[in-house]
Amino acid sequence: MIRGRDIVKRFGSTTAVDGVTFSIMAGETYGLLGPNGAGKTTLMRLLSALSPLSSGELLVGGLDVSRQGRAVRQRLGVVTQQDGLDTDLTVQQNLETYGYFSGLSRRESRRRAAEVLAFFGLHERAGDDVDHLSGGMKRRLAIARAFMMAPDAIILDEPTTGLDPQGRNLVWEKLAALKASGVTILLSTHYMEEAATLCDRIAIMHLGRILDEGTPDELIQRHASAEVAQLRMATDARAGVRTALAAAGHAWREVGAMIHVAGHNGQRPQMPPMDGVRVTYRPGNLEDVFLAVAGRGLGDE
Amino acid sequence: MKTPGARMVAGVRWRSVQALWLRHVVALMRIWKVATTWYLVEPAFALVAVGFGIGRLVEEVEGGMRYAVFVAPGIIMASAMIHAIFECSWAAFYRITGGFYETTLTAPVTVTELALGDVAWAMTRALLTTVSVGVVAAAFGWITSPWAVGMVVAALLVGMELGALGLIFAALSPNTHTLSLVFTVVATPLYFFSGSFFPIAVLPDALEPVAWLLPLTPGVHIAQGFAWGELALTHLWSALYMIGLTAVILPIAIRLLKRRLVT
Repeated sequence: MIRGRDIVKRFGSTTAVDGVTFSIMAGETYGLLGPNGAGKTTLMRLLSALSPLSSGELLVGGLDVSRQGRAVRQRLGVVTQQDGLDTDLTVQQNLETYGYFSGLSRRESRRRAAEVLAFFGLHERAGDDVDHLSGGMKRRLAIARAFMMAPDAIILDEPTTGLDPQGRNLVWEKLAALKASGVTILLSTHYMEEAATLCDRIAIMHLGRILDEGTPDELIQRHASAEVAQLRMATDARAGVRTALAAAGHAWREVGAMIHVAGHNGQRPQMPPMDGVRVTYRPGNLEDVFLAVAGRGLGDE
Repeated sequence: MKTPGARMVAGVRWRSVQALWLRHVVALMRIWKVATTWYLVEPAFALVAVGFGIGRLVEEVEGGMRYAVFVAPGIIMASAMIHAIFECSWAAFYRITGGFYETTLTAPVTVTELALGDVAWAMTRALLTTVSVGVVAAAFGWITSPWAVGMVVAALLVGMELGALGLIFAALSPNTHTLSLVFTVVATPLYFFSGSFFPIAVLPDALEPVAWLLPLTPGVHIAQGFAWGELALTHLWSALYMIGLTAVILPIAIRLLKRRLVT
């Protein structure tokens, strides 16, 4: 459905996407997981023909993005990171206008807008000003807009960034429903939970490159330990904990107020005795994968 | 997938232009009460204040024409200019920064089509204010010639040319401070030095040709020709000059918009 080969995008002397190759099957949900600055947004813009490639080849539904940009945008639903809603219009008018831009007649636009609003749970707000919607509703409206033309494939650039947990859950629910209906989804995210919840396959992206690719389970098996110890302690106990871990031969990572310790060879990491430390164990996750592959955390600045 | 509305003229998809224009109509209808003050009330204030006020002090201009009759077409064109510039600089700037253009470009739409749709709307706005203030001027007896209907031609030319110019500012401005230059550097000088309030012949000899080159001057000249029912070949040259300027400005504006939106 979507295929990219050796895609490169340069802005002046910086290379935002540095030779990326990937392939997404019809009906698949594919995630680009990486921190801010990994090149995800640039890749999304290349895909939606909003930005020309420096080199490489990008095909969407058999159409060449470089030469048939208009046809690609006719077939592909695109949700940009910015909602980009029309604040001068109502919720319903936003959708109708987009439908008309995309080639529907005014009557078809009206009918389709009503359908899409119902699906995204926004029909009760149809006549409201866009500015009166919550952040989560605005995002759902932005996704609804991309569905005006009932596309076979949709790409979403960080669909839940900036949403509260409730808004995020609602967006995930709608994306899961779309996925179940057979829509091909490509999304970028820096939330490992989002990638793990929604995606069939994930590409780990860092500094413009895809470092590894696979199902969430494959990636975790390949790169993360089965269990990770999470240590909580008072701030003044930190120095002692570091010394004890180093003495026991552990590598660790400090995440906010916690210290994470991965095990070796799929074993649960054995903690040395430490005073004033609460230890819990959790399964390895995509965050650990990213750390192992990219040498830094997803949330690190 | 079916692509209705895919009629193309010289690489421009007609539906895109139409859709943006229609979007502007829908947005205007939602706020028509407030919009009436922009299109009618405010320019009518200027017309009445200058027509009655200054018209009292300056009773006649060249050839015994009443000052109010002299100034009416100029004030109307000044309003047409303000509408065109505002739409294509200020309003378009917010369509860029708010992401509306970007999300619209995710539909099968190009930057050129967005620019054409916005210029078409600038022309519409110029037309709306020209007609509404023109009716007021006629009601005061300051426009009498039946030829005055032809002022719509001047309005469309002003809307097209100044709309295209406004887009350049929208495309180039990093923020609203630089954007405001379109009013201080373009709109205000044009407002006063385009032959609206006094005949250009009154200016010092050295400045006279400069005033004729300003983009609004030929529009005012055409509007005066129609309003006074005194048409000459110079009005045709003025129209061609405005079309020529637009043919230069609009491609530059489109290029700059592309640089800003499609990188």
